[in-house]
Amino acid sequence: MTTAEIRKDMPTRPAAREADEGARLGLRLTLPAQLLVLFISVFPLLMQLYISLTDWSPLSGLGWPHAHEMWNGFANYVDVAGDGRLWSALGRTALVMAVCVPVEFLLGLALATLFADSFPGKRVFYSILIMPMMVVPAVAGYMFYMLFQSGGPVNDILSSLLGMPVTVAWLSDPMLAMLAVMVADIWQWTPLMFLILLAGLVGVPEDQMKAATLLGASPWQKFRTIVLPRMKTIIIIALAIRVIECFKIFDTLFIMTGGGPGVATETISVYIYKITTQDLIWGYVAAIALVILLVLSVACVWAMKRMARKGQPA
Amino acid sequence: MRRSPAFEAFRYGAILLACAITLVPILWMVSMAFKPIAEWQATGADLTWFPKEPTLDNFRYIFGESGSNLIVALDRTAAKPILSSLLSASLGTLIAMAAGTSAAYGLSRFGAGGNLPLALIQLRLFPPMAVMIPVMMMWSFLNLMDTWWGLALIYGIVTLPFAFWLMKTFFDDMPREIEEAALVEGCSRGRVFWRITLPMMRAPLASASLFVFILNWSDYLIALLLTTREWVTIPVYMASLSSSMTGQLYGAKAALGLIAAVPPVVLGIMIQRHLVRGLTFGALKQ
Amino acid sequence: MTAIRLENLVKRFGGFTALKTMDLSIGDGEFMALLGPSGCGKSTTMNMIAGMEEPSEGRILFGDRDMAGVAMGKRGVGFVFQNYAIFTHMTVRQNLDYGLRMARRSKAEIARRTAAIADLLQLGDLLDRPALGLSVNILQRVAIGRSAMMEPAIFLLDEPLSNVDAAFRAVMRTELKHIQREFRQTMVYVTHDQLEAMTMADRIAVMDHGVLQQVGTPLEVYNNPANVFVARFIGAPGMNLLPGVPVEGAEGLRIDLGALGRSVVLDAPLAAAARRAKGSVQFGFRPEQVELVSAGAGLGMTVGFVERIGARTIVHLERDGITAKAVFDNDTRVAVGDLVHLAPQPGALRLFDAESGAALRGI
Repeated sequence: MTTAEIRKDMPTRPAAREADEGARLGLRLTLPAQLLVLFISVFPLLMQLYISLTDWSPLSGLGWPHAHEMWNGFANYVDVAGDGRLWSALGRTALVMAVCVPVEFLLGLALATLFADSFPGKRVFYSILIMPMMVVPAVAGYMFYMLFQSGGPVNDILSSLLGMPVTVAWLSDPMLAMLAVMVADIWQWTPLMFLILLAGLVGVPEDQMKAATLLGASPWQKFRTIVLPRMKTIIIIALAIRVIECFKIFDTLFIMTGGGPGVATETISVYIYKITTQDLIWGYVAAIALVILLVLSVACVWAMKRMARKGQPA
Repeated sequence: MRRSPAFEAFRYGAILLACAITLVPILWMVSMAFKPIAEWQATGADLTWFPKEPTLDNFRYIFGESGSNLIVALDRTAAKPILSSLLSASLGTLIAMAAGTSAAYGLSRFGAGGNLPLALIQLRLFPPMAVMIPVMMMWSFLNLMDTWWGLALIYGIVTLPFAFWLMKTFFDDMPREIEEAALVEGCSRGRVFWRITLPMMRAPLASASLFVFILNWSDYLIALLLTTREWVTIPVYMASLSSSMTGQLYGAKAALGLIAAVPPVVLGIMIQRHLVRGLTFGALKQ
Repeated sequence: MTAIRLENLVKRFGGFTALKTMDLSIGDGEFMALLGPSGCGKSTTMNMIAGMEEPSEGRILFGDRDMAGVAMGKRGVGFVFQNYAIFTHMTVRQNLDYGLRMARRSKAEIARRTAAIADLLQLGDLLDRPALGLSVNILQRVAIGRSAMMEPAIFLLDEPLSNVDAAFRAVMRTELKHIQREFRQTMVYVTHDQLEAMTMADRIAVMDHGVLQQVGTPLEVYNNPANVFVARFIGAPGMNLLPGVPVEGAEGLRIDLGALGRSVVLDAPLAAAARRAKGSVQFGFRPEQVELVSAGAGLGMTVGFVERIGARTIVHLERDGITAKAVFDNDTRVAVGDLVHLAPQPGALRLFDAESGAALRGI
């Protein structure tokens, strides 16, 4: 019999039925997740779109479906563009990101290179060094709040180091409070960089490193020409993750300073929190939220396209 | 690779310094948790790293006993917040893992739900504050405000991306031969999933669950907005502790902080092998 | 352009001794093969020469210089890894000129040398291709070229042809030999393939279980193996070794090979050697050096299996649990089950002490 004849004889239904069964099961399996995603995206999006075009606030006495009675068109969006406090908050957020992420990256990379080969006690040191990122951020906020008290350990250590009494009121000074917040962030998230970069570092083939050494390359040259290029993807991933989380920074910072003194450490999340819970101008908050959503979506799509073009899996 | 003694010395020096910096804040809080009131606000020469008179008073205090006449005993102890954190984090983990694992299997084996990877990453991309108002409205409408189960639901949604991505990479890594063998034997696909795949995945499921639990337990902002009085979680409760007599209750808060911080740290060290996979959404494995 | 000397070299890994007291001299410009089965210590030896491992005991000298404490990158050796260790994130050219770039040589010099090596190894068209995904044959040449660019005095190759396909292997063997002659480098070549060693090396160092068995030219190790291991390992198939007992007779000494019969009378030197044996001996002769004779004149064995491999015919023989092989040309007619008689050619006999395995040499 020819192959064609054999194939004609073979019953086609079982295979098709199986594929069908698979597709149906797949649908059922993904349904809960799809529903949850829908739940959290559809209504919130529509609702916010709606009230962002109004001047609604829960204080107005109206239920939110009646927000249209306080219609104000795109006024909120115009206000967003001109909201000085908003832009300052964004600026501060950018500052925190610009300082913390590179520092965390460099420190994490340095630590990772120290952990690249095996040495006694490695496991123990590793477990200790990754602890900070597992501390509840709110608790970390409180820890650093205590540390940076004017009579607290930080000043105590500085006093012994500098040989003279230091009684700086960290959290009462705008610039020092910002510095304290950055220190807290760096303390907590350098281990994350360390963790990820170390995983990438060990992926570099040892043979190639040996070959490079035999060809006369110095440790720095090996790092520059072999290790870093091979770690490019991982570095990008680590930086992306950290940048995104840093943009959202809230817990630790809020407990440490509450955004203060004044607005000295008010980042974007803190600002939105405050006008949501204190000023209760929810129509306006919705506008801000949508602008952020829009910008981030565009950035996300652009990044995905760029990675797809480079031939890398998302 | 052998390194020169100078390098080894440098390495140990650097690592010890890093460990010291890592441990100082934590140890300070541990120390505070065991310090009596008199030592809370010590400054200058009185400032000690270890309590001069260690005491469990702070722990007793947060559970309702006031050991000193300087502060009034709490009427709302830490017991319920601890319970709230535990319940909401647990149920939230269950929700995220149930939905995430099923969807991950559906995508891995059947290619269903192709939109989920991107959608779930975007979920983590946006600042929570940007969606909290509608969430508050919805939760209020559904009578889920200030309840631990309401919290659990939002937790489940917010950590769903991690559950999904983690389990997806685990499923992708698992060879299909075993499942296919069962299929050839006549098992239905559903049974294969329940009776064969899942039992084999016990270890990854456990690790992923612990990872998600740590995330849920560590939340602050969402609980801050969705709970007001009855079911506040530990971080929210902690922030609310204060006394007009002694200002901030440093010792008590430190004790509470310790209780809150220990579980995730211990769990995290237990699952450290999988941390990279979880944190990079499966892009990297350790 | 440098001679290598290994003195009393020992290497231990924890409780395990990988190399036991090795002494070897490699001449300036010599092609020395380190030959032996897996685990014999050949790669360990080479790693120590390169500086990737430190000896537990003993010295390594390049010329007169003791290499103790001289770092890996400073020894001036070229090293080709078994899996090439090509920098897959770079182009072929960047691989080739890596060493010179790290040494900060002038662009002109780099370009000149790259062109020369590329020409020699026929990599000219591939220079700007990414190294990732190229065939193993090309990668092999890139690996060799990369090391050759540095014009090292000593060239070390660790089983470089084991991943290359058979057809290409023959080509590469000639090319490597050609390069070595061209640059007159001292080359140390690790392999488990005795054919490779035999065709390429000036001398072969046969190793087993961390012990150097014999050093000699290919012809020497083939014709006069120092012990049974070398006798069996060299040659494809290796030497036949039949257990026997020296027996004095009226005409002289023969070897009694049990069911197979008795050997011919041994000539004086061999007889003297046999007498020095403490008891039984191993009676050795190469499969290529036998003739079929009539019954009664040789050793009787039954044909078990006949391999016709094109140019030759290998006959597997058996008698009373003792096996042997014989290589004949294709005209020879033998069939499975035949009882044949073999006579080793004159001068083909070798004797080994049955207990120690060492060759018994007649003086």
